[in-house]
Amino acid sequence: MEDAKQTARPQYGMGQNVLYMLRTAWRTRKSVIALCAAQALLSVASAAVGMFFAPAALGAIETGAPLARLLGIIGAFSLALLLLGALAAYASANTEFGRIQVRMELFSRTMHKSATTALANAENPAFQEKSAKANAAMNSNAAAAEAIWDTLRQILENALGFLLYLSLLTALDPLLVAVTLATSAAGFFSAHRILGWGYRHRREEEKPLKRMEYVLNQAKNTALGKDLRIFSMRPWIEEVFSSARRAYHSFHARAGKRYFLADAIDALLALARNGIAYAYLIAKTLSGELTVAEFLLYFSAISGFTTWVTGILSSFTTLHRQSLELSTIREFWAYPEPLPLEGGETPPALRPGDACALELRDVSFRYPGAEKDVLSHINLTIAPGEKLAIVGLNGAGKTTLVKLLCGFYDPTGGEVRLNGRNIRPYNRPAYQALLGAVYQNFSLVPASIAQNVAQDLESFDRARVQNCLERAGLGNKIRSLPHGMDTHLVKEVYEDAEELSGGELQRLMLARALYKDAPILVLDEPTAALDPIAESDIYQKYREMTVGRTSIYISHRLASTRFCDRILLLADGKIAEEGTHEALMAKGGEYARLFEIQSRYYREGGEDDGGSNASE
Amino acid sequence: MAEATQANKVSLREALRLNGRALGLLWKERPQLILSMALSSAAGSLAPYIGIFFSARILNELSGARDAQTLARLVFWALIVAALWALTQGAARRWCECERASLHFLCGKIHNFPMLRMDFARVDDSHTHDLRSQIAQNQNWGGWGLYQVYFSLEDSLKALAQVAGAVALSVSLFTLSVPESAGALTALNHPAFILLLIAAMLGTTALAPLLSYRADQYWLRSAENVKEGNRFFGFAFSLVGLSKNWLDVRTYRQERYIAPILNILIDKLCKPDSWIARRGRGAMGLLMAASASISHLFTALVYGFVCLKAYGGAFGIGSVTQYIGAITSLSGGLSALLRALGIARNNAAFLRATFEYLDLPSEMRQGTLTVEKRNDRKYEIELRDVSFRYPGSEVWALRHVNLSFRIGERLAVVGENGSGKTTFIKLLCRLYDPTEGEIRLNGIDIRKYRYDEYLSLFSVVFQDFQLLAFPLGQNVAASAHFDAARATACLEEAGFGERLRAWKQGLNTALHRDFDPEGVEVSGGEAQKIALARALYKDAPFIVLDEPTAALDPVAEAEVYTNFNKIVGDKTAVFISHRLSSCRFCDEIAVFDQGRVVQKGAHDALVRQEGGKYRELWQAQAQYYANEASQD
Repeated sequence: MEDAKQTARPQYGMGQNVLYMLRTAWRTRKSVIALCAAQALLSVASAAVGMFFAPAALGAIETGAPLARLLGIIGAFSLALLLLGALAAYASANTEFGRIQVRMELFSRTMHKSATTALANAENPAFQEKSAKANAAMNSNAAAAEAIWDTLRQILENALGFLLYLSLLTALDPLLVAVTLATSAAGFFSAHRILGWGYRHRREEEKPLKRMEYVLNQAKNTALGKDLRIFSMRPWIEEVFSSARRAYHSFHARAGKRYFLADAIDALLALARNGIAYAYLIAKTLSGELTVAEFLLYFSAISGFTTWVTGILSSFTTLHRQSLELSTIREFWAYPEPLPLEGGETPPALRPGDACALELRDVSFRYPGAEKDVLSHINLTIAPGEKLAIVGLNGAGKTTLVKLLCGFYDPTGGEVRLNGRNIRPYNRPAYQALLGAVYQNFSLVPASIAQNVAQDLESFDRARVQNCLERAGLGNKIRSLPHGMDTHLVKEVYEDAEELSGGELQRLMLARALYKDAPILVLDEPTAALDPIAESDIYQKYREMTVGRTSIYISHRLASTRFCDRILLLADGKIAEEGTHEALMAKGGEYARLFEIQSRYYREGGEDDGGSNASE
Repeated sequence: MAEATQANKVSLREALRLNGRALGLLWKERPQLILSMALSSAAGSLAPYIGIFFSARILNELSGARDAQTLARLVFWALIVAALWALTQGAARRWCECERASLHFLCGKIHNFPMLRMDFARVDDSHTHDLRSQIAQNQNWGGWGLYQVYFSLEDSLKALAQVAGAVALSVSLFTLSVPESAGALTALNHPAFILLLIAAMLGTTALAPLLSYRADQYWLRSAENVKEGNRFFGFAFSLVGLSKNWLDVRTYRQERYIAPILNILIDKLCKPDSWIARRGRGAMGLLMAASASISHLFTALVYGFVCLKAYGGAFGIGSVTQYIGAITSLSGGLSALLRALGIARNNAAFLRATFEYLDLPSEMRQGTLTVEKRNDRKYEIELRDVSFRYPGSEVWALRHVNLSFRIGERLAVVGENGSGKTTFIKLLCRLYDPTEGEIRLNGIDIRKYRYDEYLSLFSVVFQDFQLLAFPLGQNVAASAHFDAARATACLEEAGFGERLRAWKQGLNTALHRDFDPEGVEVSGGEAQKIALARALYKDAPFIVLDEPTAALDPVAEAEVYTNFNKIVGDKTAVFISHRLSSCRFCDEIAVFDQGRVVQKGAHDALVRQEGGKYRELWQAQAQYYANEASQD
């Protein structure tokens, strides 16, 4: 069945996209345009010279011209072809560089968009799909962003050739020209329609394709390798692949059968066209209006003309397709941002030690397309310098709350306030400069340890980096490395990179947050993978780091919140309980119950202790 | 640049061997791929000769007898043969395209599926992945490797067909002679001219591809330069694309790194003053220009010879077009053939990497004993003085470990990160073999057992377990077919029962949304329960759990511990956990420290040992739950 879903009209038209590429090339590397034009001209010139070569020589033989003249003709034409050919080859050896550079421009802008776009966009499947399509349009030499130059060249070439041959053929009966045009166009359009079957049914092709790709990726997955052997999953995976491949093959077999129809139509039209051309030209030759050499010339011209016509039509089709892809890229760049990423108001320039009071006023939040609020009418004030712990079960909304406080989302109801001002109009990157954070997942950049701490490639304060590394507990580790803090990280990029353990990476992130020295600190418990001793040490560091700063600490393990001033228990999107640890335990509510569950096994006496003689 | 390694000279013989072997791989995988390509190549290459043949005859007739009937007959045949050939060619081409569509995936299968069968030690070795990604990089950057073998063969066959057709049409050029009446031109009949022409053709044929081969070498050398840039580029993608990075990238403004990263690549790859671009304007460009020119020189020579012979009356002007067409096509075909062979030879260097990877030895599957199936589950496993070092590492991950299991025992394994716990597990289930010492099952070295037999004794939930994007039931059974009742029971035991009942499609619900928009993205805790259910479904006598509750919240965690005994039943269980509280219900605890077992015993005994590692670990965790006396 054909895809019922029609693709929406592209936002940017063919003309606009071509102009855009031309402007980008002009700005980045003018030679791209010059080489395109040069290649087209050389190609047409070559074709023209080539077409006249044989008839000229044959004409000389036919008319019995002097030998010297024949040799002269051969020499002149050969030389011309040689020069044109050499220039064309030289030009095409040089086209790729400029084109790649232009493509990289587009890449750079796309990556920038992906990296800075609001979190709500990044998590949105529609945005992700747009991003994938945009990237596909740029990810190789054959993709639209680079291949479009070939298409433009071909259009120019075909148009020039068309005009040249048209002028030649007008010496003949215009009916002949008309027939040639008509058959070429008919062949082209019918082929176009038929060959478009694959594109119209591409969703059907995608299903088995994605399965095969998935299996191939999973086969390389080392983590899966363990499970695969233990649970004998190999036959399962191999079967998924085989059946997907069969489905994929059958799709292409069906496509092939349809496409053959286009070949048949082509053959028929060629027969008609050549038949008419032969009949006409032979008649003219027999009646003496054309010499044999001229017969050859015009016959070649007709086939050449057909090629130009088909060439123009097919180049425009390709250009149309490539333009759609370019439009996707530009639409991606123009994807609306729900938060002010550029512009917006400037938040106050707060330094550590300055008072930072955060407030959530009647805040509710619902993910797009969700049925229920994740957070519902939260009222919370964090006093300057206060250390707040947020705990709760999985799915209670802890991380969402933090993302709202950090300005990654805007609440669907209510306001987030900093020192009394709503943060909604603030420029988000500037707002986020006020946050030092250690999230559950973090990202390293391919640079040295010091540069990762300082988050600056160019200049950083070495002494300060050293200090932060020491405070984070990495001093000894750094000293043990031959290049110290200049050791590279990220093994995928640097072969000599150091691989830090889970605990060491944790400390590195701490050092990074310390270096940033921001007035607000956010710690999303990332110690799940650490052993008890390392974990205990990290808690100690947190305790030190949060002195004098407004801090928010999220945790699973209730015990680790002991260094905070106040604890918030989130449940079902609301603040269920609030208070100091002692107060909450005394209250005997949900917090106390969870604490008792976790602590049960650590107390003397074992698991059957109902908690009645728990010393709390 | 000094290491133009991939372009290292491969001897002709080795190039043939490597290409032949690669072709064998493709043929074995799918013979139709090769057959369809051969047919399509031949049909395509020979098609132009039909036109050349018939139009020469028509031209000869027009410049000769001009008989209308003959002309009509020639035109008729020209049109019919062309049409029929076009149909044949079309059919062959579509068949070829259909098969070729799968080429990418078949190559992927040939490259990736070996990882499913290799020794795990190999799969875990970064060298293996380096080889694999080298192969991938070769393919992505220029199509080098297995992929290129297909295209080289195609180009070679096309060229061969082209040459064959050309030879057939040009033979008579040399056999027809200039008649005596032409005077001086009869000199052209001398065989020396044939030799001259052939020599010129061979010269052109050899020289043109040689020049363009030399030009291509610049690209190969450039590839080495670009490697590092490519790694940066690839990393930039994951920096921006992986969801785990999103928060950090924004908080720390890491988009600032994109431009410098791209510049590293651009500088080497395409800037006007880059090494390769300068070569393009210089040596490389000139070589390509020279290569193109050479063939035109030859064309001039051919035109000269043929036209002169025709001028002298050896044949009609129609034949001129045939001979010129055929000889230039012959030369072109030979050049193309040489070029294709040159590429195939260059490709051999890349095939070396492919075969180095495919030939990685697997040594673990040499045992032959079957494991006796015991209903009483009385399997005794013993580690005897086991030491282990990861391949390529100097550090001992395990040292002199002696441990044996009692049937139905619950063993907890604790220790700091890096102390050897997970390594111990991997050796226990024979993902690796010990470097020294041995592991015995029922008194026999486990290496003597058939590998899959031994593995069938274990159900393991690793810390980084994986679930596939397929239906829940399949994941629990680890297979395409599952027993619904049994799967449901296992999920219940793992604590997933309630969730399962909430899912509309039950066991047929797909995990993740890769293939089914109705699929469910399971949370970390839910996934852990499913992995546990999978381990239970297998119902193996040994069950090994590595951090089974790390992703669960306190309530769910407590549930698992409470039911633990019930879940594990009469199996022997090994249990790694950081939450020492979970050790309380194990029979025995093994404490690992720097690859050695430093303490062994029950909780009560160990926690009392002053200065012992266990006590140290316990205190570190318990301190938060102790009396209120402890304060910041």
